[in-house]
Amino acid sequence: MILDRLGKELLYFDGGMGTLLQAKGLLPGELPETWNLIHPEEIVDIHRQYYEAGSDIVLTNTFGANALKFHDSKYGLKEIIDAAVANVRKAAALGVHDGRKTYAALDVGPTGKLLKPVGDLEFAEAYEAFREVVRYGEEAGVDLIHIETMSDTYEVKAAVLAAKENTKLPVTVTMIFDEKGKLLTGGDVPSVVAMLEGLRVDALGINCGLGPEQMLPILKELMEYASVPVIVKPNAGLPKQRDGEVYYDVEPDRFAAAMEQILGMGACVIGGCCGTTPDHIRAMTKMAGRRKPKALAPNEDTIVSSYGRAVILNKKPVIIGERINPTGKKKFKQALKDHDIDYILKEGVTQQDMGAHILDVNVGLPDIDEAAMMRETVTELQSVTSLPLQIDTVDIWAMETAMRIYNGKPMINSVNGKQESMDAVFPLVQKYGGAVVALTLDEEGIPVTARGRCEIAGRIIEEAARYGIKKKDIVVDVLAMTISSEPEGAKTTLEALRLVRETYGVCTVLGVSNISFGLPCRPAINANFYTMALQNGLSAGIINPSSEDMMRSYTSFCALMNYDENCEEYIRRYGGQNGEVRTPPPASLTLKDAIEKGLKEEAHHAASELLGTKAPLEIINRDLIPALDEVGKGFEKGTVFLPQLLMSADAAKIAFAVLKSSLAENGQEAQKKDKVILATVRGDIHDIGKNIVKVLLENYSFDVIDLGKDVPPETIAECAVREDVKLVGLSALMTTTVVSMEDTIKLLRKEKPNCKVMVGGAVLNQEYADMIGADFYGKDAMQSVYYAQELLGK
Amino acid sequence: MDTRTKEAVRYLGYGSHAIDDDTLALIGSSFEELERTVGRRIIYRIFDVSFQGETGLKIGTMEVDSRNLRRNLDGCRNVIVLGATLGAGVDMLLRRYSLTDMARVVVLQACAAALLEEYLDKCQEEFKLKQEAQGLYLRPRFSPGYGDFSVLHQGEILRMLDAPKRIGLSVTDGNMLTPTKSVTAVIGVGRTQLSCHVKGCENCGKSDCAYRRDKGVGE
Repeated sequence: MILDRLGKELLYFDGGMGTLLQAKGLLPGELPETWNLIHPEEIVDIHRQYYEAGSDIVLTNTFGANALKFHDSKYGLKEIIDAAVANVRKAAALGVHDGRKTYAALDVGPTGKLLKPVGDLEFAEAYEAFREVVRYGEEAGVDLIHIETMSDTYEVKAAVLAAKENTKLPVTVTMIFDEKGKLLTGGDVPSVVAMLEGLRVDALGINCGLGPEQMLPILKELMEYASVPVIVKPNAGLPKQRDGEVYYDVEPDRFAAAMEQILGMGACVIGGCCGTTPDHIRAMTKMAGRRKPKALAPNEDTIVSSYGRAVILNKKPVIIGERINPTGKKKFKQALKDHDIDYILKEGVTQQDMGAHILDVNVGLPDIDEAAMMRETVTELQSVTSLPLQIDTVDIWAMETAMRIYNGKPMINSVNGKQESMDAVFPLVQKYGGAVVALTLDEEGIPVTARGRCEIAGRIIEEAARYGIKKKDIVVDVLAMTISSEPEGAKTTLEALRLVRETYGVCTVLGVSNISFGLPCRPAINANFYTMALQNGLSAGIINPSSEDMMRSYTSFCALMNYDENCEEYIRRYGGQNGEVRTPPPASLTLKDAIEKGLKEEAHHAASELLGTKAPLEIINRDLIPALDEVGKGFEKGTVFLPQLLMSADAAKIAFAVLKSSLAENGQEAQKKDKVILATVRGDIHDIGKNIVKVLLENYSFDVIDLGKDVPPETIAECAVREDVKLVGLSALMTTTVVSMEDTIKLLRKEKPNCKVMVGGAVLNQEYADMIGADFYGKDAMQSVYYAQELLGK
Repeated sequence: MDTRTKEAVRYLGYGSHAIDDDTLALIGSSFEELERTVGRRIIYRIFDVSFQGETGLKIGTMEVDSRNLRRNLDGCRNVIVLGATLGAGVDMLLRRYSLTDMARVVVLQACAAALLEEYLDKCQEEFKLKQEAQGLYLRPRFSPGYGDFSVLHQGEILRMLDAPKRIGLSVTDGNMLTPTKSVTAVIGVGRTQLSCHVKGCENCGKSDCAYRRDKGVGE
């Protein structure tokens, strides 16, 4: 088994394939994988040369062999992969003369498509494409699966899961970084390592993109974070162009010399990528021989990650934002019931703006499908924030659903000392990776002593180890009990924090604000307790980052304990303030002026002040709507332009929110007008136009159902019927997607004949709109509002 | 006002109208945020071009039927085929602000478009210097979607450039580029210097366009 040798012996991969195939006559645009069948002798010849040059592991010629990338009318994927594996085996028989053990690795490259939310490929589709390939590979008898040249953590997660769930083979992964140490999708080295090790790959590393010399700084970082064997496969330098042809110019000797440095830094599987040849590999194997690789030094950091960044919990205290949670929040509960995803997302981005490092995500309510809601919330959140998420649920199915589609290594909230809990949660952490919050309670309840809680933490750490989950991935929560009912609660918690840190050296987490439950002026207690907890070793406080008191505690603590170099963050936040709490200035503008000028803060103040003298509904009808009308007219006349129109709309939205919450306090509700569906049609991913119309329609109190972008006709028709909608607005950017618009209109006519359709978008005009059978063409956003008003009544 | 700001103002539909201070400030801060976000990347290769009849041409292995492109490349033996992107970060930014601040979204969108054009102009200037050193001259940049050059060629162009792997630029099933702030284009390389060619926008037949550079807003 190769697994017995990985990390213990130096192993050699092969080198480039594409450049050699071109030299043998592969045409630009021709699919290299077809050569496994058309010119097997050429493929075997290349593989053989690599074996002769000293490669232990040779990759099959299957880089682009997946259903999303490989489109060939003549050959199927199975045929290609069977032939590819046979070619490597044949080459080994011809090229290995010293009786050494060699391996055939199934080469799995990217699909060439970008996953949602950046592109249009579903995670599940990517998974399916990889699943097919790895199954064929195992059937054809490869020794391992090597997933390479990946530049997106989400795509590589799909590939690793597919390989792990559908084969028994070892899985190794190499990613492509740029000179700044970033993936094309923005991920950095620690985030990539954290996710891949969480998914339990057998080795990981870098390939392609750079030459060996440019890889050195990235490798240094990789060695710092990796705990599994590291693979390095550079190009023969950076790509250069001559007469339109790409070439690489690092010669074999120089390549070998650079690889010597790479070995010195701790890589233990090395090979080459683009531009490298059997000569490069020969020079490399000659240079290194059968020397022993450096011993692995496992990383002990507690890391969680998103697609784009890693958060390290043991270096400096971090903030976990607690606001995405319905507990005790009426509005949030309502948002969940109404399926108001935007509300949840806003809570997310607000907490990010206020300084959160991780976002807790809890969407549990008794009567909703929590797994479905969790899937949607996590998917949407990771399209608007790069903060890592903490998946917070007691529903194991919801937990697994979220962990599966999460793009990174999540934090999991939580496991506890009950056997049942550990039996359910640890298998998931073992499979998907994650740092898991361990609550110090068990079948007997919560121990009253610090020692008792510390002992439970110990048992959880021990049980986790049985699943191969390391101590660094357990974050202990010693639980904060409210002091109004537990007089010794705070003291016990603080002592337990210290004890757990000293005994096990693990990171800790705490829901800080529980401490003040039932007391007046909670922020005072919370903020002081937070500082005390930090002083006693709290790594991650679950707090509300919009609470200025809490943020002052945090920022001050970091400044005092030298976590904030030169007090930079402290000065950034508080520079220019004299320590007094700022009170908002009195409203100097009328609400109408504030909206017309598009000033959000002023609109907020003006609306609040007006509530002293007028009823909310009166303000809406007498001040707010007339102001919007005025701006709308200006837009029509060409004196107000789109950014100004939208600034006014955003200001009005904020004033609305103030008035609505006043109505809600009195048990009233702002009257909502008819429902309007908005959607960007199938195949179209540009939704700015649709979002502009949405903001304006909402300003005029229409109940907008936003179906998003790239929406199939069936979804739109089904929703129109279900919600009995009288008006649908469709947007399309290009001629190619107007076809989908026409399909949608046809379907709506059939399924929901009494529903009108308005259309808009860059490519449309009246003539075009008539041709596809729309009821109305809105040349700009205000026209859509006027049409809706005319149709559905003011 | 610098060129990029002027271009952003034009994309926002102001035409010849004066811009207000609030929007101008928003443009300034949007450029700042974009500078922190964008990851400019370009990939290009030079291919042979040959012509068939009035509308047919072949660039490398790609066959194109387009009268406009045929005219644009008339007399060229080579073309530079390129793909460029500002990266996926811009899309994230647009999605994030769509939740809270649509004014910023439309301004960011306009500024990103201006940055992308500026980047391409800079790259094209470098190509120009290189080619002119060999006595060759560039034609105006021409992208799928201009005139009758179909956007259906996006996928093939990206394959010719290996763009998904090299710069993370890919195409959706609906032939849209992702990340969205990206372009593909061809630039003809010829032996003759054409003196009177107009650039991009002004070359388009849609003379009533509100965003047209050489006239005011369509009143």
